[in-house]
Amino acid sequence: MVLVLFVICLVASGAVALVNNVTAEPIAKAQAQKVVAALKAVLPEFDNTPEAATVEGFEGVYYEAKSGDQTVGYAFESTSPNGFNGNVKLMVGFAVDGTIVNIEVLEQAETPGLGTNMTVADNVLLLSFRGKQAADVNMTVKKDGGDVDALTAATISSRAYTDAVARAYAAFKSVTTGEVNAYTSATQLKAQTENATTATEAPACGGCTKEEAQECGKGPHGNCGANCKHK
Amino acid sequence: MGKNLSTFTSGIVKNNPTFVLVLGMCPTLATTSSAANGMGMGAATMFVLIMSNIVISLIKNLIPDKVRIPAYIVVIASFVTVVQLLMQAYLPDLYNTLGVFIPLIVVNCIILGRAEAFASKNGVWASALDGAGIGLGFTLSLTLIGMVREILGNGQIFGMDLWQGGGALIFVLAPGAFIVLGYLMILFRKLTAKK
Amino acid sequence: MSTQKLVISPAPHVHGSNDTRRMMGDVLIALLPALVVSVLAYGWQAFIVTAFSVACCVLTEWFVQKFLLKGPATLGNLSAVVTGVLLAFNLPANIPLGLVAIGAVVAIGIGKMTFGGLGKNPFNPALVGRVFLLIAFPVAMTTFPEAAGAVSGATPLAVAKEALKVGTPMSEVMQNFDLGAMSLGMRSGSLGEISAVALLLGFVWLLVRRVIRWHVPVFVLGTMALISGITWAIAPEQYMSPLFHLLNGGAVLGAVFMATDYVTSPMTTKGAIIYAIGIGMITMFVRLWGAYPEGMSFAILIMNAVVPLIDKYVRPKRFGVVKSKK
Repeated sequence: MVLVLFVICLVASGAVALVNNVTAEPIAKAQAQKVVAALKAVLPEFDNTPEAATVEGFEGVYYEAKSGDQTVGYAFESTSPNGFNGNVKLMVGFAVDGTIVNIEVLEQAETPGLGTNMTVADNVLLLSFRGKQAADVNMTVKKDGGDVDALTAATISSRAYTDAVARAYAAFKSVTTGEVNAYTSATQLKAQTENATTATEAPACGGCTKEEAQECGKGPHGNCGANCKHK
Repeated sequence: MGKNLSTFTSGIVKNNPTFVLVLGMCPTLATTSSAANGMGMGAATMFVLIMSNIVISLIKNLIPDKVRIPAYIVVIASFVTVVQLLMQAYLPDLYNTLGVFIPLIVVNCIILGRAEAFASKNGVWASALDGAGIGLGFTLSLTLIGMVREILGNGQIFGMDLWQGGGALIFVLAPGAFIVLGYLMILFRKLTAKK
Repeated sequence: MSTQKLVISPAPHVHGSNDTRRMMGDVLIALLPALVVSVLAYGWQAFIVTAFSVACCVLTEWFVQKFLLKGPATLGNLSAVVTGVLLAFNLPANIPLGLVAIGAVVAIGIGKMTFGGLGKNPFNPALVGRVFLLIAFPVAMTTFPEAAGAVSGATPLAVAKEALKVGTPMSEVMQNFDLGAMSLGMRSGSLGEISAVALLLGFVWLLVRRVIRWHVPVFVLGTMALISGITWAIAPEQYMSPLFHLLNGGAVLGAVFMATDYVTSPMTTKGAIIYAIGIGMITMFVRLWGAYPEGMSFAILIMNAVVPLIDKYVRPKRFGVVKSKK
């Protein structure tokens, strides 16, 4: 009885090992191809096989694309933890001059039909970045005073997407200039949140009173003009 | 031959695993978000089902009764691993979409059920036909559910746009799977009852 | 009705359609003030959506009853009309009419007639329609038109939840809202949910006419107030106040008109109280920690599913049976 089961297991594992041997190479190839496909989508034409590299101050990896000996662009696998439902992972491609070539969404778990629209071709978020000089884009959503169009009814997802692009851009600067350009806006964001929480204990809006702030219509963090010493 | 033919066709209509036996609901509900996914899942299951049916009917006399279930599971699991590796190598996109549901074919009760109820009592040829019939029935049902969900949910069929602007998103999500399965079951029963 | 034989069947019992008709009529009257407020806030579009929704619901019921179930006409009991109005009350005023039609077909077709019609449906049909639309067309269902006097296009609950999520303190959020005006309907939201005062007027009418028991609405709102009160007392800057919770979203609409549906709520008063507390709790859990800003419709549907269980364990006392002392 035990022997029969043993023999069956032996034969079965032998067969599986055989198949594993045969398919090992195609599997590795298929996985490499996936990365190359994502890179091809976000970078200018290149002919080398880009390899993953890391840079200080950036959590993800990046790839350097070359055409002959000439570097044509960089792609960054950038993750923002601030999504509506976990991480938003993007592949952001830059040309050497800092133009954002294209952005691919690698991973997201946003609300179906709202945040997931970031994966749709030519969505407003993508159009806010694609083809633009990264330095010219104020990388926050319009609602927060930036240049980025948010997806309808998905501001948080849009913020996370924008955050991931901003992280990639900071890393791009570190790579191209050689200086360490640690991504600050996430930490800034956190600091702002903390400030906001502590600010409630202090009187609203530093200089102007609540009533004055309301008079100018926007609440204490709005523009209450000369009265406001808060901003 | 007539008996063999009926073995084959009973799996498609009379003993349809999805709409009549209501077996293997987990992959049925989870992987039918599009017609192509449903078909891929169905095909993978069909392959495992035919192969395990053949092997089990071949070795049925060697297996002692007390360890037959572990023996079946080992056979089934091996074929599932084979499918998984092959898919990963040659159909990486489909593999990524189906994800964890490929290894879960091992615990699909259709396969163990057929091994226990049919392959362990019948010859190789009949077992292969039974596997093919049930597998085909499963594949067709999954493709049908996937098709309905894809049309209603995305306005597409096999990835091609039927109309612009998408559809009711709910059909691509989990609740849509239950709704579509329920109404297709009603329809299936109504159609087969008349015969 | 006189030709019908007396049918004796096990519980739950459905009232004869004469009775149903009177009660449904009273529900419709009770819904009137809220309809008036929504027309004032959103203009005639609100009325058109409501009328269209009613028409679609009635048509679906008639079609299914006549051609698929082949049963007697049931339109006279007005329940399809009530479902139509309640469905419309759960939609934004600017929703495309095509979606209203889909919602009505789902509400009556899937939510009610699939199970055999009035009295047999486990879930509140109007809410089935609403939740279906919410998941199927999230963009259309979460963008609200600007109501007269409202601050922005998103609902106050959504605005507040998002602001709290990024760390804005509650006192700052509240500067955009005026609770007094809000209770009259000066806010954005679904058609019928915007004015708590108008809905409470309807509640009073239903109580006076003895159409519903007071327990369910009071316990739903009470539970919500209790849970939001606790969180608010612990951290008033990070949670919305109980009053804000009760005036916003579908709290009053759901508690008074949806949770009290005869068919989908428990038979006994004790059971109804358990059911109501469950609704209040789930609503607050979704609002406080869930992904959606509003959880009323989910809460009612979930508790609808629990009703058979409640009815199994909380049974009415049998007449003439003396409780044995333990």
